[in-house]
Amino acid sequence: MRSFELQSKHTFGNYSCLFFYHPFFVPWYLVCVGDAAVGKSALSHMLHSDGTLLQKNYSMTTGVELLMKCVNIPETNDSVELYIIDSAGKETLVESCEKMWGEPSLLCLVFDLTSEQSFANCSRWMERVHAHCRGLPVPGVLVGNKLDLSTRREVQTSVAQEWAQSQGLEYYETSAKDMENCDAPLLSLARAFHSLYQERRETIQNLSPG
Amino acid sequence: MIDACLGSQGAKVVVATSGDEEHPPENITDGKTNTFWMSTGMFPQEFIIRFAEPTSVFAVTVDSYNVKHLKIEKNATQNVSQFEFVAEKEFENTEGHLQSNAISLNGGSVTHLRFIITAGYDHFVSVHRVSIQN
Repeated sequence: MRSFELQSKHTFGNYSCLFFYHPFFVPWYLVCVGDAAVGKSALSHMLHSDGTLLQKNYSMTTGVELLMKCVNIPETNDSVELYIIDSAGKETLVESCEKMWGEPSLLCLVFDLTSEQSFANCSRWMERVHAHCRGLPVPGVLVGNKLDLSTRREVQTSVAQEWAQSQGLEYYETSAKDMENCDAPLLSLARAFHSLYQERRETIQNLSPG
Repeated sequence: MIDACLGSQGAKVVVATSGDEEHPPENITDGKTNTFWMSTGMFPQEFIIRFAEPTSVFAVTVDSYNVKHLKIEKNATQNVSQFEFVAEKEFENTEGHLQSNAISLNGGSVTHLRFIITAGYDHFVSVHRVSIQN
């Protein structure tokens, strides 16, 4: 019901009547998961604070932080409002956090390039997220973070790339600390969901009447 | 009898949670099924139709695509607030052609009808026409 409450506030506010003509005003859920301490929060905050953000974030007490961000979709005049759900990675907190995910539209799976274990656990995270998606395709990215700690790297690019591909994810390496490549995953996700929208719109345009 | 749910009869969509400029909410009340309003984001999605004058509604027919669950609320005031629940329905998935569902609303005078799509068979859904029987 959380999403409904958020939406209601958006919809009505104090107005008695209004329209949203901004095509993609309606937010999309981007769920950000991965092991504890891989840098999800650092990355989420990075994404969130590049100057274009809307100042309306707040913390939840249940181990999930909700950040909102407006992203321009490359090569179009459209933009999308993303709700970035930064979910706690600690095993003991996962179950209660999962309840806050809702039905995600987009997935950002983060691991630590200097921790083989955090990469190995990615399959578990995939399973968890898929259980929330009712079989719908969810465009996603796999992000190897902590690119700045290159001497301690345990996961090779080619290995991560291959696994990402097998899961239908785009692969990126970032350094939230050095602000390196951080917006690439987000732009890729926005682009992917936007093309899904275009595709569906075309299908509907070509439907025969009931 | 002429359908009171037509834009030409003064019916108007006064709230819609999505607004792709190419598929605006007015398409719901233009009486055609080849034009549509489309959702662009997460659920729930909703739209509210205001009638030109208080109208008694016995049933509505909704032509749509990929809608899974629809809830209808009504009110009889001039404000877009204080809605009361009237009906809800689980739609069947119709691959490749439109869904057309009639929903009984047990009469009574309304000025606004609120349609809340709480779930879809896809990330995106469309509503092509709402017509009423009174």
